Amino acid sequence: MKLSRRAMIRDGMLVVSAGMVMPAVFSRGVASARALTQEGSRVAQVSNDHTLIVVQMAGGNDGLNTVVPYTDSTYHKLRPTIGLTEDKVLRLDDRLGLHPNLSALKGIWDKGELAIVEGVGYPHSSLSHFQAMDIWQTLDMSGNGSEGWLGKLVSGFVDKDGHPFQAMNIGTQTAQALASISTPIPTLPSVQSYRLSKDVAEHDGGDARLQALMKLYNTYPRSSPFAALLDTTATNARDGGQQLQQADAAYHPAVTYPTDSFSLGLKTLAETIVQGLGLRVGYITLGGFDTHANQTTIHQNLMKTLSDGLSAFYRDLELHGKADNVIVMTWSEFGRRVEENGSLGTDHGTAAPMFVLGKGVKHGLFGEPPDLTSLDIDGNLKYTVDFRSVYATVLERWMGASSKDVLGGTYPIQNFLPAL
Amino acid sequence: MDLHEQPTQPFGSNNEMDGEPDALTQPIVQSPLPEAVNRSASPAPSANNHFSRRALFAGLAGGVTVALAGGVALAEWEQQSGNPSTDSGTLAPGTQRQIGHLLRKTGFGVTAADLTTYSALGYSGTVDRLLNYNQVSDTVLEQLLSARSLDLTKARNQPQWWLLRMVYTQRPLLEKMTLFWHGVLTSNYQKVGGPTLYQRMIVQNNFLRAHAFDTFDNILLGITSDPAMLFYLDLTRSHKNAPNENYARELMELFTLGLGHYSQQDVEAAAAALTGWHVKGGTYEAQYNPHDHADRELTFLGHTGNLNYKDVIAILANHPATPWFIARKLFTFFAYENPSNEDLQPLVDAYTQNKHSIGAMMRALLLSSQFSSVKAYRSRIKSPTEFVVGSYRALGTKSSGKELPTQTYLLGQTLFSPPNVAGWPGDKVSSLWLNSGTWMSRLNYINLMLTGGRTAGVTYKPLDIQSIVDTQHIATPVAFVAYFASFLLDGNITADRTSQLVDYFTTPDPVSRKGHVTLANGTSYPLSKVRGTLYLMLAAPEYQLN
Repeated sequence: MKLSRRAMIRDGMLVVSAGMVMPAVFSRGVASARALTQEGSRVAQVSNDHTLIVVQMAGGNDGLNTVVPYTDSTYHKLRPTIGLTEDKVLRLDDRLGLHPNLSALKGIWDKGELAIVEGVGYPHSSLSHFQAMDIWQTLDMSGNGSEGWLGKLVSGFVDKDGHPFQAMNIGTQTAQALASISTPIPTLPSVQSYRLSKDVAEHDGGDARLQALMKLYNTYPRSSPFAALLDTTATNARDGGQQLQQADAAYHPAVTYPTDSFSLGLKTLAETIVQGLGLRVGYITLGGFDTHANQTTIHQNLMKTLSDGLSAFYRDLELHGKADNVIVMTWSEFGRRVEENGSLGTDHGTAAPMFVLGKGVKHGLFGEPPDLTSLDIDGNLKYTVDFRSVYATVLERWMGASSKDVLGGTYPIQNFLPAL
Repeated sequence: MDLHEQPTQPFGSNNEMDGEPDALTQPIVQSPLPEAVNRSASPAPSANNHFSRRALFAGLAGGVTVALAGGVALAEWEQQSGNPSTDSGTLAPGTQRQIGHLLRKTGFGVTAADLTTYSALGYSGTVDRLLNYNQVSDTVLEQLLSARSLDLTKARNQPQWWLLRMVYTQRPLLEKMTLFWHGVLTSNYQKVGGPTLYQRMIVQNNFLRAHAFDTFDNILLGITSDPAMLFYLDLTRSHKNAPNENYARELMELFTLGLGHYSQQDVEAAAAALTGWHVKGGTYEAQYNPHDHADRELTFLGHTGNLNYKDVIAILANHPATPWFIARKLFTFFAYENPSNEDLQPLVDAYTQNKHSIGAMMRALLLSSQFSSVKAYRSRIKSPTEFVVGSYRALGTKSSGKELPTQTYLLGQTLFSPPNVAGWPGDKVSSLWLNSGTWMSRLNYINLMLTGGRTAGVTYKPLDIQSIVDTQHIATPVAFVAYFASFLLDGNITADRTSQLVDYFTTPDPVSRKGHVTLANGTSYPLSKVRGTLYLMLAAPEYQLN
C-alpha cells in the first residue's frame, strides 16, 4: 500500500498535503487534529502582532519574600529569621515592598510599567511540584494533562509568512506549557548551537547531504512510532536554523547582558524580536526556587538574576524601539509556607504574586492580598485570584485570542491590561 | 539481610553519635548559583492520551488517505512492506534484530564485535550474561579509568567518568540500571553540600551501582541514608522538633507510591518518623542520631506506633501500590511507554514472590513476550546518553572523554544534574528528548565524529573509513550499507532505505575535496559521499530510536 506523502496521521498528528484545501489557520501545512473535529469552533484566532514572554520560576518561588507584606506583624512573627524588614525592602506602598535585589524591577515599577497580581493560585492546590506544574501548564486540574495552554495557542496561530519562530523555548527541553499535538516548538539553549555543521569534504556546503537526509525523513514510514514528530522536527530545524543564523549576523544587543544562562536566553529572545522573526510566544525557565533550607542566600541570588536579566532584556528592546509590543509574565507552580521551617527555609505553599511588565500593562497592584491570619489547614495562604483568570486576561487583552478556546472555560478578566 | 541491621553504623562508620551531628554546627557551603545551569523544570506529560486517534479522524474530508497513528500500526506496515518476522507480533527469536534490540534497551547499543559475541549466546544466554554481570570481567574498564586518574571531587569530571564507564564496560545492563536509578532516586551535584563535597554524587552513584538489582527495601534504606540524598532533599536539616517535609513527600510521590496513595498528614507523619539521619559535616558519610529522632506515637498510612525510618521504608516497600509503581517505571524505561496492567503483572509478581528483588523484576521483564514484541521495537526516542555513548562506541571513536558531558548537555541531559527531583521527563515520555535544537545537536555530534574537529577542547580525528573498508573487505556500496546497518540498525533496513543510501553513495562528486575511498572491488568513490552515507544512516529517523 502506498500512502500519499502529505496526508496522514502520525503520533496523533495530522499532516496535511500541500495541495489540500484547508482552512487558512492551517496554512503551515501542519494542522491541529483536534481542531478539525470541532468544525466551526474558533481556534484561538489571533488578530495582532503582540508578543508574550513567559518566565517560569521553577521550584516554587517564595512569594512572601518577593513581594513582601513588610508591615504585617503576622509575617514577622511567622518568619523571625528569614523575614525581610522595612529597612530592607524596596517600598511599593504602605503595605508592600519588593525584595531588595529586585531593584531593576523596582525601576520599571517606578516608570509605571509593572503590574503585580497578588494571591494567585487555584482551588484544592497541590503541594506536589509536579502536579502543580502540570496544572499551571495544562490546566488539567487532575495534573494529568498533556497539551499545554501555550501549545494550544500557538497551534492556532495564523501566520501567512510561515514563520518558524512563532514560538520559541529557551533550553534543551520544551516546556509542557508549549506542548502541542500539532506544532513542535523550536527549542534551543543558544543561537550558536542552532545550526547544522557541514562536512569539509563537501563542495556544496552540505546541501546535497541535507536534501538526502530530508528525503529519509519524508519517506520514513508514517505508521512508525514518532514518525510525525521526527519529520516535523527535522523540517522545523532546517528552516528555523537558517533564519536564526541570518538574524544573528545582523543583531547587535543595545545593552550588556549579565553572563548567566537566564540572561543569555533572554538575549536570544530579544534577538528574534528585534530581527522580526515573528515571535509571538517566548518561554524561558529560571530554576532553583525550591528553598527548603538556607533560603536567604539562594533566594537573593535568584531575585537578582531574575531582575537584572529581565531589565536588560526590556532595555534592549526599548533601545531597539521594539518594546511596545512585548509583555513579560512570570509564574511559579506555588508559593511557600507562611511560617518558616526549622532549616532556615520554607516548605511548599500555595498562592503567590505574579509579575506582568511592559509598556502595555496598567501599573499597580491587582487581585486581593491573601490574609496571613486566615490560613488553610496546612498553614498555607488561601488564594484570591485564579491563575486561569490571569491567563484569560493575557489571552483576551494582549494576544487577541479567545481565552475560552484556549483555556476551555470562561474566567474573569483582570484589569492589569486595558481592553484591546 | 537488610542493609541497616545496625542502623547507627550503616556504612561501617565507627563514629558513635554524641550530641549534635557535625552538620548542625559546621556551616555547609551552599550550592552554587542556580543559574549556572538553567534548570528547566517542565514535568512529564501524562501517560494518558486524552483522545482517541481513530475517533478523531472519523470525519475527515474525503479524498485523503489516512493511516492509523503510532506503534500499533507498525506490524501492519511491516507486513505490507514485506519485512520478515513480524507476523506474530514478536521479533523473531535469536535474530540480529532481536539481539540488537535487547542490547540497545539494556545497554548502549552494539559494536560489530559485540554483535558477534552476543549473537553466539542467543537471546536467553545474553539475558543471563547481562544479569549475571558479576561473572563478566570488567578489568579493562577499571584499568582504563585508573589510568585516566580523574579527580572525582571536581564536578566536571564526574559525568566524564561515568560516560567512559558506559563506553567501555562489559556489563552494559549494570550501567544502564544505574542510569535508571539515577533518574528515579536522583540528586543533583549542585545541592549536596557545596564544591568541596561534590564527590558525594560519586558515593551515591557507587551505591546505586552496587545495589542496582538488590531488594527494593535495601535500595530505599541505602538512599535514605545516602549523604548526597540527605542533603539534596533536606533530610539532614530535619530535626525531631522541626521535621522537614521534603524527603518524606518525594519518597512517597516519586520513589514508591505516586500521588493519590497518601495524604498531607502522612507526609507530616513520615517527616517526623524519618528524623535522625544526618550527613557528617564535611565528609562522605552519614550517621543516625537516635537523640534527634522524633520519639512519639505517629500514624503513617494506617500504621500507628513510635515509628522510625526503618518502619517507614518497610511500610512503603510492602504497600500494594509500590510494586506497580516501580514496575511501571522499569517497563517504561526499558520497554515502552503506557504499559497496561497486564504488561506489568509479571514484574509485580516477581517483586512479591522474590522478597522485593529488583533483579527478579528485570529478569521477568527481559524474558517477557512484551519486551521482545514489535510494539517494543524502536519504541522510544534515544536519550542523549544513549545516543552519545551508543554512537561513540559504534564508530570506535577514541578520545579522553572530556568532551562527552558537553555533548550530552547539548542533547538535553547532564548526568549528576537532573532538572529536578523527578529526574528527566524524557525517561518517562521519551518524545520530550527530541526537539529542533536537540535534533541538530545529535546530527552535529555525528558530523564531528565522522569528519573530525574540535569540541570542548578535544580534537577528534576524522573516522578512517578506508581502513574499515579494507579490514572488512567491503566490495560494493550495498555491502557498505549492510555492514554498518548490521550494528547501527540491527541489520533491519528496508530495501527502499538501502536504495536511497546507495544512490547517495554513488552520486558523482567531481570536486570532492578530501580524496576518495576505494572499495575491495577496486572502485573509488568520493569521500564526501562515502562518509555522507554513514552520516545519513546515523542522522536518519531509525537511529534516533531505541
